[in-house]
Amino acid sequence: MLKQLAYSTALALVLAGGAYAQDDHDHDAEDVTLYRVFVGDHAEPSVTAFDLGEPDNRWTFETTGQNKLYSVENGAAVVAVQSFDDAVNFFTSGVSLHAHGDHSDIAVTDPTAIEETLTGPRPFHLIDHDGKAVINFDRGGYVEIVDTHALSEGELVTSQLQQARAHHGYAAPIGDLWVTSVASDEPVEGDAAPARIGLQPINADGSPAGDVETCTAIHGEAFSGAYLATGCQEGVLTVTEGADGLEFEMLEYPEDLPAGQSTGTLLGSKVMQVFLGNYGGDGLVVIDPVDEPHFRYIELPFRRVDFALDPTNARFGYVLTEDGSLHQIDMLAAEVAQSASVTEPYSMDGDWNDPRPRLAMAGDEIVLSDPNAGLVRRVSTETLEEVGTVEVEGMPYNIVVVGGSGVDHEAGSDDHDHAEEGHDHDHEDDHDTDEDHDHE
Amino acid sequence: MIRSLITALFCSVISFNAAHAQDEKLRVVASFSIIGDFATQVGGDRIDLRILVGPNSDAHVYEPRPANAMALAEADVVLTNGLQFEGFMDRLIAASATEADVVALTENVAAREEPGGGHYHFIDGEAIFHAGGLDPHTWQSVVNAKIYVENIRDAFCEADAINCAAYEANAEAYLAELDALDAEIRASVGGLPEDRRVGVVAHNAFGYYEAEYGLRFLSPQGVSTESEASAADVAGLIEQMREADAGAIFAENISDTRLLEQIASEAGLEISGVLYSDALSEPDGPAPTYIAMMRHNTRTITSALAGDQ
Repeated sequence: MLKQLAYSTALALVLAGGAYAQDDHDHDAEDVTLYRVFVGDHAEPSVTAFDLGEPDNRWTFETTGQNKLYSVENGAAVVAVQSFDDAVNFFTSGVSLHAHGDHSDIAVTDPTAIEETLTGPRPFHLIDHDGKAVINFDRGGYVEIVDTHALSEGELVTSQLQQARAHHGYAAPIGDLWVTSVASDEPVEGDAAPARIGLQPINADGSPAGDVETCTAIHGEAFSGAYLATGCQEGVLTVTEGADGLEFEMLEYPEDLPAGQSTGTLLGSKVMQVFLGNYGGDGLVVIDPVDEPHFRYIELPFRRVDFALDPTNARFGYVLTEDGSLHQIDMLAAEVAQSASVTEPYSMDGDWNDPRPRLAMAGDEIVLSDPNAGLVRRVSTETLEEVGTVEVEGMPYNIVVVGGSGVDHEAGSDDHDHAEEGHDHDHEDDHDTDEDHDHE
Repeated sequence: MIRSLITALFCSVISFNAAHAQDEKLRVVASFSIIGDFATQVGGDRIDLRILVGPNSDAHVYEPRPANAMALAEADVVLTNGLQFEGFMDRLIAASATEADVVALTENVAAREEPGGGHYHFIDGEAIFHAGGLDPHTWQSVVNAKIYVENIRDAFCEADAINCAAYEANAEAYLAELDALDAEIRASVGGLPEDRRVGVVAHNAFGYYEAEYGLRFLSPQGVSTESEASAADVAGLIEQMREADAGAIFAENISDTRLLEQIASEAGLEISGVLYSDALSEPDGPAPTYIAMMRHNTRTITSALAGDQ
């Protein structure tokens, strides 16, 4: 009887998945949906992690300074960049997802702090692409390249790529080559930062692989599909891998966009080849790198606090404005589809790093930090209504969410190893965002 | 009197709607060029066709665009291959919020498991086999292509009943052409000596052609062009080629030829031509339609293996 019951339960769990009939699972397998939130405090050098569905599952990690958080390796690891304290900490998230074509496998353990850290002069932008987390050290004149697969297994494996001059910029791998932002070689006074003038293809050893492409005041970068896009005063510069090296195209801002503004923050969709960028403080642009019009402008009612793309439904993005309203952006229609008030107002006057909410996506919820309320708020993507809150000590600020849905093959067991035969795991984990901030 | 007036008015509205529906073309989206050709054969000028992945383009690695999602949103019928051939499709359909009938044309096709697929998990010391996927290149057998055409006919009739007779007539005529094509391929391949039936292709897209017509293809890549062949894969392939006495190496219109050129060089062979596996050619190329594609491929394969080149 018990055996029959166990069999029935296992069968029900497997059948609940429905979508992986090709699998030959003759062991206990369970459908699991788990989102784990990592949130950095605004004032304290600490990161709190908790499971969104069971917030009592909670862990706190001490770091050196204020943390800007990035999920890498499809959320298997989290990087905490501490720009004001010259440090970078790393965590395994405890949630790993491996795509198997018709379904994903999920494995869940506790998050852990990786003992090794990176230190160096002013780490800032991080790009996660092609198995590498590339951290720009703005005052060091180099990027640290972190192997994200090793990181997901708790190991810090790094290499460096030198830049011609230290600046607030980035480097990114594209195919066999790299691109790096380039600073002017004009002298500067004191601690002033050099002007940023363009983007250059380079080899893996840092040697030039082509001329500098003009991109004045280059800032903000994201990958989507085959494209890297980066913001410039002239427009948005795109880069793709061509048959004979990298191909650059400047998508100039059209005349019907408001004058005197530009794009400096970009998000890239993982589902469609499309970008969402800011255009000034109170505008957004949907950027199509292939089809015209390349830019479609969306005017916001107030200045933007933060924005995010929905990885589950590529049609939508979400933006919070300083009046405390959350707006759902229809990426196809290039318009605000619906809006709702979700927090008290947070004025964009003042310093860029003043405590203000930050957004992240967790399946069919938008998760946003609310520093003044000491909360992480959960908002439905369908209705924009709040569906719950989680109290977080201090001032919850920068935030990332890892996890998703998958089949847990370890249900009822404690040991799990992987061996593949003619079948690669999918490790898509492009980092597609950059942050708003002032420049040195 | 009033009743007659209402009836007359009602009838005129009905007939206007019917005329409107008859004039309006069925909006069809096909995921890639081969399915697009099938749709054209069945739909003729009664459909307004949009093809997402065009000639000489690879659906395995296609990056969809907002315009694709908009096309799906406006469609009446969406034709896909299924079997995870178009990895982008499910999420694109979700983004489009389309209300169209989405038809996977491999419905009712006997799909084969991807060769060499699958892998093991080790849990508590127990090896658990995770089965591989199904080979999606089912159109490479004309027998399967006929099922695609029948599925398209049924989908069009379902969505546009007024024009169903035309769709049925078009499908019937095209199915007869496919029967003739099938017989032609069997005769061509049947003329090859038994010891001249092994070739090499870039990715494993010809499993159904092999099974249907009695050839064998070796390949350095799996069924998806997304995976890359390792040095060990290449070394193993060259060993296999020697053992099987492979007679020819073929490039593919959607794949980079550099790896094949390396293999050909190491095996002492030359590339014997280009096969069209997952996409048609441009209109002025040798494979602008499915029938032209299968004829071109068969001619290229049989003449190379027969040693005519």
